[in-house]
Amino acid sequence: MVPPQYYLLLSAAVFCIGIFGLLTRRNALLFLMSVELMLNAANINLVAFSYYWGNVTGQTFTLFTLALAAAEVAVGLGIILVLYRNFDGVDVTNATTMRW
Amino acid sequence: MTPLQTLPEWAATAPAIVLALTGLALLLIDTIDPDSTNNGLLAGTATLGALAAGGIAAWFLIGGTGMESTGGAISLYGDALVVDGMSLFFTLIFTSVTAMVTVASYDYLADEEYQGEFYSLVIFAATGMTLMGMSNSLATVFVSLELASLPSYALVAFLKKDRGSIEAGLKYFLIGALSSAVFAFGISLVFAVTGSLVLPEVAATLAEGTELVGVLGLGVLMIAGGFAFKTASVPFHFWAPEAYEGAPAPVSAFLSSASKAAGFAVAFRVFTVAFPLETVTAIGGGSVDWSLLFALLAVVTMTLGNFAAATQENVKRMLAYSSIGHAGYALIGLAAITVDGGAANGDVLGASMAHLLVYGFMNTGAFLFIAMVEKWGLGRTFEDYNGIASKAPIAATAMTVFMFSLAGLPPFGGFVSKYALFYSAIESGFWWLAAVGAVNSALSLFYYSRVVKAMWIEEPSKPLEIGSQPVGLYVAVIFAAVGTVLLLPGFQPVIETAQTVAAALF
Repeated sequence: MVPPQYYLLLSAAVFCIGIFGLLTRRNALLFLMSVELMLNAANINLVAFSYYWGNVTGQTFTLFTLALAAAEVAVGLGIILVLYRNFDGVDVTNATTMRW
Repeated sequence: MTPLQTLPEWAATAPAIVLALTGLALLLIDTIDPDSTNNGLLAGTATLGALAAGGIAAWFLIGGTGMESTGGAISLYGDALVVDGMSLFFTLIFTSVTAMVTVASYDYLADEEYQGEFYSLVIFAATGMTLMGMSNSLATVFVSLELASLPSYALVAFLKKDRGSIEAGLKYFLIGALSSAVFAFGISLVFAVTGSLVLPEVAATLAEGTELVGVLGLGVLMIAGGFAFKTASVPFHFWAPEAYEGAPAPVSAFLSSASKAAGFAVAFRVFTVAFPLETVTAIGGGSVDWSLLFALLAVVTMTLGNFAAATQENVKRMLAYSSIGHAGYALIGLAAITVDGGAANGDVLGASMAHLLVYGFMNTGAFLFIAMVEKWGLGRTFEDYNGIASKAPIAATAMTVFMFSLAGLPPFGGFVSKYALFYSAIESGFWWLAAVGAVNSALSLFYYSRVVKAMWIEEPSKPLEIGSQPVGLYVAVIFAAVGTVLLLPGFQPVIETAQTVAAALF
């Protein structure tokens, strides 16, 4: 069996790639993909430790997370679509009509 | 003794069930006549549903459902949901805010498309918030948090030809998606340490100790981040000014009052039940001391919110920052919890809950007054508010009540709730938190009174034209104002209930 700390390292790496993408990309669609990576990092942990602890709680919760991620993308794509129509592009830095 | 005890256990979730059914009924009404521009039926159904859910919650609260007197908290579905005094108290906050918002939307949405969708999204978000208050497992916390968040994103971006609304929706969504991913990762780390998602089981496992202190600490920190987003606290607060300013004003009212209270509801339960302070401080020599974390966040949040609010020229944006400041006050409820606090812990948490109830009335009212001004087409800056009192004295009086109550001046509900909060913080030994809060309140009087001064004293630069008298908005604003005033004499039962139900958590 692979020791559990390797799973933690893997998920932390995937999570950090997600954060990196989120901070550096200006395209709203790539932003969504980065968030998916971060959610999947959580899923890796849940599934791996579900096996480690010998219960299916984590695996079941992973299914919930997947479904919610899909719902989130559905709402997000709707918002990105109206962003495209109103600001002629999906660059998240274009929408700056409000400033403090 | 009471007929309540003969009801099946699942009936304790009746407020959430009523709200969910109302949302479905709204979709059905909209399907039957999708092109109808008469939103009276939709607004009426939504309001009725919210009031019915609130009525049931109040009835349960008075009847003692899920409280000590009737046999303790009712836990359902393998401990995934729990109905106790706290969840019912918060349900009361959510439903009263929802009812005010749906009544006000009757006028605000009069010329908009997709009204059926609007009302059903509001009600579904309210359902999610009610479930957040009942969540007793990290799984239900996450699912209900998303159920409250996803409709909110759509609601903020509801005016899809308005660039401000789209920008607000985009920013709210981006930060929301980020924070929910962080939150999910935090849950997965806590699961890695404890092997369970049910809050009491997490606590039970942690009580046996763990070697993965770092993983646990990171998990707790990330979960706190998820709540910071929902409550618009530092460090995930920066969506709030944009989202509240760009969103349709009733939606801003809904988010800044109900959604914030929902974040606190779930944060209170998760941190007191799953990570009891005496347990987590015993692990790893006190390195997972979330009380200290929330104390820092409370100070930074209220100071930042109040100072930023003082520099605004736009009234709606000022209120957005003021709502960040109020999140800081409410955070005192978690910050002032101590290991050997005993009854003082319940008192300070209950005071925070009571403040959220009063805040629900005064802040919703203030945003709905802004909705009214937007409806009149007067503009958004302080100068545009000049002389409103001469044209609409009743609404301006109500707004004055909200402003002074938000600032915490005496004859209004906001005074007693802040007083109770700071007093119980001092009781717990956190006099410096109360002092920072009091200084911030004094500062807040400066920008709140600017609105009052503009409305009553300043002369308008150009002649004011107030076309219509929106009935629904007036009803909602006056209801909120009456609530804010009545909560002063009626504060005693509120705070007693809140502190009793909060004490049950410890």
